Amino acid sequence: MISFELTQEQKLAQSMVQELASSQLRPAARSADDREAMPSSILDEIWATGIIQSQSDADGYSPTLNALLLEELAVADASFAIAAAAPIGFLGAIAAQGSSAQKKNLLPIFAGDKYRCAGVAIMEPDFAFDVSAIRSTAIKKRDGYLLSGMKGLIPLAGSCSHFLVVARCGDTLDAFIVERNARGVSVGEKKPNIGLRALEMATVSFKDVELPASARLGESAGCDVQRIIDSARTALSAIMTGTARAVMEFVMPYTKERVVHGDALAKKQTIAFRLADMRIETDAMRWMTWKAASILEQGGDATRQAQLAYTYCTENAMWIADEGVQMLGGHGYLRDNPVEMWYRDTRTVSVLEGAVGV
Amino acid sequence: MIDFQLTSTDENVLSSAHEQAIIGRRYARYYDKHEDELEPAEFPEAKDLPNPVTLAEEGLSGSSGSRILHSLVMLEIYWGGISLHRSKWGLGNTVLKTVATPEQFEKWKNHTIAIAITEPGAGSDPASIRTTATFDRETGEWILNGEKIFISQAQSGDAAMVLSRFIAPDGSRGMTTFLVEKGTPGFTVGPQLKKLGIRSHDTCNLLFENCRIPEFNHIKGDFKSTMSVFNDSRPMVGAMALGVARAALDFTREKLGERGIEIGYRGGMRSRSAIVDRFIRLEAIYEAALLTVLRSKWLEQQDVPPKVEASIAKAAGGKAARRITQGCIDLLGPEALSEDHPLDRCFRDGRIFDIYEGAGEIQRLIIARSILGYTGRDLR
Repeated sequence: MISFELTQEQKLAQSMVQELASSQLRPAARSADDREAMPSSILDEIWATGIIQSQSDADGYSPTLNALLLEELAVADASFAIAAAAPIGFLGAIAAQGSSAQKKNLLPIFAGDKYRCAGVAIMEPDFAFDVSAIRSTAIKKRDGYLLSGMKGLIPLAGSCSHFLVVARCGDTLDAFIVERNARGVSVGEKKPNIGLRALEMATVSFKDVELPASARLGESAGCDVQRIIDSARTALSAIMTGTARAVMEFVMPYTKERVVHGDALAKKQTIAFRLADMRIETDAMRWMTWKAASILEQGGDATRQAQLAYTYCTENAMWIADEGVQMLGGHGYLRDNPVEMWYRDTRTVSVLEGAVGV
Repeated sequence: MIDFQLTSTDENVLSSAHEQAIIGRRYARYYDKHEDELEPAEFPEAKDLPNPVTLAEEGLSGSSGSRILHSLVMLEIYWGGISLHRSKWGLGNTVLKTVATPEQFEKWKNHTIAIAITEPGAGSDPASIRTTATFDRETGEWILNGEKIFISQAQSGDAAMVLSRFIAPDGSRGMTTFLVEKGTPGFTVGPQLKKLGIRSHDTCNLLFENCRIPEFNHIKGDFKSTMSVFNDSRPMVGAMALGVARAALDFTREKLGERGIEIGYRGGMRSRSAIVDRFIRLEAIYEAALLTVLRSKWLEQQDVPPKVEASIAKAAGGKAARRITQGCIDLLGPEALSEDHPLDRCFRDGRIFDIYEGAGEIQRLIIARSILGYTGRDLR
């Protein structure tokens, strides 16, 4: 039955995260970007919401709730939202597709009271990369696999204890649980990108990593890699919706205060209409994200919906971030204002694949 | 709980609406070519078929709600292009229902009442209408003079609800509505207008020349109550726009498929052809706009009158129909131009939705005023 109704529980969680986002996260965003480092206090705040650990609990699994909360986190800062969405992606994949032994071994590790990170490693450091052309390989051996390849843009790679590495195995894609300390795994230095600079993203190389058969997600049953990608696209859509909302909510009061040619900038139709379009598009982005998330939650095939949400959000989030800079003019170009950071962050989020989940 | 799945009741009603739309589509080209001909109030094929609009409005238990279902039924009807059951409800009926006295309502409740607002010099700015009614003390009648243009249901309707200025006997002035029945001396309906598309849509100009109207026909809607009929209709127009847009997408997907081009959703944009990428982007526009329509209709069902949401749905639907019908012709190339196929009609029909019942710009004014906290005077 078509419904946009949030449950009481969802409303509570949403307002709790909203409060955290505006009081703690937003004020910390700029300096984290400047210092290219994720403050551990922020990670602890995010961890304390319970959003990440809830993946481990069968009753707590809710892509719809995660989509709601990731949007709120991203209104504060996209890097912080991804710091939550990355382990959610990892744990969500284990919880949904792991064998019972994999769940039993891994999920409790992420039930402690300190932030822990693990990454979904899909993207590769290669121009014109596409999820359908993954080059990393896992070669089937008598009692396991030999994994080789490079994975890029892994959030908080240096602090991850595990990676879920998507690699080509024969004709199909498979996902492998790889411990950070396994022989042949090396985490590169954090590499600054256009945006999401607080995320300490890095390339991880896997050189002839010997994996036991039990490292394959789902073990003998294998897994549906597409579902991991669908989940990631949905999470990225939620994050882009949040960043777009941040831009919109920032430029509205600014353009009302800013006087140009004797009147408020927002009273000029060219500006007012673009603000109206920002509202139209952020609404649409959110409903697209919710729809993909609700299909995932019901265990349906969300591939089409996640693709449409992701495609729509990448295009419109970038448009909104771009207009945000434009509406502030020269001030938008200064690092004194957040719109230039959102412009960089949006360009970054909107080309990512994998890395996160709902 | 957030959910976007249709219920089985929804699906039953919508599949019936779709079957009728397939029949309607067979007539779409005929009425496109014969714009002076009104289609029958009920097509012979529809004799034993339920009107899906009525089914939706009945608020069947187990449906997603009458408002949501009604909008999805309209989407199906516009997918086909011709409704097998002509609507007996006009926007003038909405004014009658909301502001008329019980006696007035009783008299005209079974009439189809067109709404007449737009004038040659007053389209997006209806406050500047010039049609005027003066009161004749001797006969106790109103005398109406003016011209109304682009009036839907002008020929098929039984009456028009006319928004007019008035000068009362005490000299006071303002705006009000009069119900003018067909056949009233001084009331002339012009010929069908020659339009780019929606040629089956009954659209004429109305002329009032010293048209005498009894006081009983003074419905006493004011400017605000008259304009508020569009609150309900805006998301509905969004749904209609999306019916035309989906017809274009469906045809394009089918023809691309026949040429071996399948739309795949698994890979990323760097793994697909420009045609597939463009199709996916158009389809995303469709989905996005449809969800804004559903959102607005869902709010109506919660007894939260949508404000910006109604305008968002109209603006999103109107823009989607433009971009999708234009874009699909790009994807299929020159052969798509032919009248042998439906895209030429989708392209022409699809252009109206961002114009009538409040152009896209008017929706953006409404949205901007609302989100910025501006009045009509602050932002014009």
